[in-house]
Amino acid sequence: MSSLFRGEEMQLCQIYFKSEVAYSCVSQLGELGLVQFKDLNANVNAFQRRFVNEVRRCEETERKLRYVEKESAKEGIEMDEADETCDAPKPKDMITLEAKIDQLEHDLVEVNTNKDALRKNYLELIELKHILVKATQFFEEADNFSIYNRPDRYGYESDDEHVTLLMSERNRSPFAIGFLAGIMNRDKVSAFELMLWRFCRGNVFLKTADLTELVEDVSTSTFQAKTVFIIFFQGEQLKNKCKKICDGFKATIYPCPETLKERREMLNGVSMRLDELKTVLDQSLNLRKSILVNAAQNLRTWFAQVHKMKAIYHTMNMFSHDQKSIIAECWAPKSEIARIRETLDLETVIIFFFYLH
Amino acid sequence: MFLDVLFNIDNGYLEGLVRGFKSGILKNQDYINLVQCETLEDLKLHLQTTDYGNFLANEPGPLTVSVIDEKIREKYVLEFQHLRNHAVKPLSKFLDYITYSYMIDNIVLLITGHLHQRSIQELLPKCHPLGMFEQMGAINVADTSASLYNAIIIDTPLAPYFIDCISEHDLDELNIEIMRNTLYKAYIEDFYNFCKQLGGPTEEVMCDLLAFEADRRAFMITINSLGVDLPKDERSKLYPRCGKLYPDGLNQLAKVEEYDQVKMIAESYADYRPLFENVGTNPADKTIEDKFFEQEVKMNLNAFMRQFGFGVFYSFLKLKEQENRNIIWIAECVAQKHRTRIDNYIPIM
Repeated sequence: MSSLFRGEEMQLCQIYFKSEVAYSCVSQLGELGLVQFKDLNANVNAFQRRFVNEVRRCEETERKLRYVEKESAKEGIEMDEADETCDAPKPKDMITLEAKIDQLEHDLVEVNTNKDALRKNYLELIELKHILVKATQFFEEADNFSIYNRPDRYGYESDDEHVTLLMSERNRSPFAIGFLAGIMNRDKVSAFELMLWRFCRGNVFLKTADLTELVEDVSTSTFQAKTVFIIFFQGEQLKNKCKKICDGFKATIYPCPETLKERREMLNGVSMRLDELKTVLDQSLNLRKSILVNAAQNLRTWFAQVHKMKAIYHTMNMFSHDQKSIIAECWAPKSEIARIRETLDLETVIIFFFYLH
Repeated sequence: MFLDVLFNIDNGYLEGLVRGFKSGILKNQDYINLVQCETLEDLKLHLQTTDYGNFLANEPGPLTVSVIDEKIREKYVLEFQHLRNHAVKPLSKFLDYITYSYMIDNIVLLITGHLHQRSIQELLPKCHPLGMFEQMGAINVADTSASLYNAIIIDTPLAPYFIDCISEHDLDELNIEIMRNTLYKAYIEDFYNFCKQLGGPTEEVMCDLLAFEADRRAFMITINSLGVDLPKDERSKLYPRCGKLYPDGLNQLAKVEEYDQVKMIAESYADYRPLFENVGTNPADKTIEDKFFEQEVKMNLNAFMRQFGFGVFYSFLKLKEQENRNIIWIAECVAQKHRTRIDNYIPIM
């Protein structure tokens, strides 16, 4: 007798299954949602239970599905709603499902590695291009300055012939002024400057220029504000020190040629390679997107199926196993016992006992 | 020193949070279950039922002990950083003091790695995340401790501890160990004075813990330097002075030549006498380090008996580290299938 003010009357039942039909019975009972099983193996460790391998397989599959989901979310692909009315797959169907998901994850991982390698190249070339552009500006400013201050030197003849800052014909001695050009995150620049000043005792000259747009960082693949810098120094030792400090601050150094002509040639070469790389990168991104879109149709359904399967195995871990039959104890509402019996009778031979609690 | 009543205004939420974290520390029953595992996968399955939850769920490929270590550490580092982000003075300063010891360890790790020709990119991920500071990457540029100080340390909070360490000697193996111990001595004395100045339950709990740590350091330095060519006055300069052994015990320890003399000195201190009994080098005995760990765990658990103090934050971190060491010990025994000494973890609760 149940009403709004009293709890439902429950009955403790014991069910005997044959081992073969246990899975499908539990699946049907799960769909009904009317019984709660008692844990007959409470003193057994989690990893010593009977179906622990199956649970592990389900978890591994879930992990792969989560990975695919994460990748899809990165691309902004919407997933179809889950078909939650579908039953948990039978154990033999599970093998095909696992193989399919495995293949999907494998393809995705491969495409991702290729894409990452290409992307790394692409971003490095973009950074190099920025450096070349900024370096040209630096040297031009410096040249303008030096022309005004040293009128006894050679004058301007033409754009290609004018004197470089470093006077390459004359300064080939070991104490030539060398320079390093590189790019680093803008938030580290002031600490970098301080460290450079301290270590080199003020004997190097640093010039920085901020990049106006955000550049995608190679290692973290997020957009960061970056700064181009050039360090001028004299001598080998200072060069080594500067290199070590740049390493420490994760600044990437690029080889930058001295003369304007070489820089222009390099810039052209880089632009061409950038275009080629972009086409290849776009193709691989499209491939990735198509794989993910295909998967997105079924992803949520697969999640639901694997989840149901895992739940069934967890429940089966709670049963006690004799030689051939399986015994389960559960609580069920008295008024629904008939429905439960009917569901179980649909499966093949089972014995079903009551005992009053 | 502030009234207990005012403590909860700034720090009540965080103390509650820390006590919650502490109740999730693995109990003896968990360790009994872990010891029964056959593979690392079993370990992962059991840890899912504890406070750790699904922390290993997204790891691809076969599980290794180093992945487990990393993930466990990531969890308690995240918890500590959450506490630090929500803390105000004086708790924030207290939590910063705790991180300085990790900074010292990181600096020594980087310099030693650099001496063994490892690249900086390889070493940086091995550093402890709680001890990171901005200029870390450039440590390998320094050759002598003077240049290390002038360029890098001067901007970090460790600057005042370097006063005794600056010399023009090159940084080599022995000097680095001496530097590490000198830094640690200055740090622990500074921390001790800070806690004393805070007063109240914090002072009572923390000064006991730090005194124990200082004395433990003194004993370990003595025992470890028995075979090494370290002059006695150098050795005595490495002893922190904020423990119970100061001044008489430290003077005696400085003159020690053999292990038995250390034991004799410990006998006159009631706290340390039981630690030196039953210690041996047989496989069945416990080592002196194990005994020190056990005593430390006991003292850290007692810290939770006091309310309205900061000792709980320090103790929580130390207990989590001990738990980490325990789990990794068991994991290594399981992975290598060498189960004879698997019970040598330090039980906590």
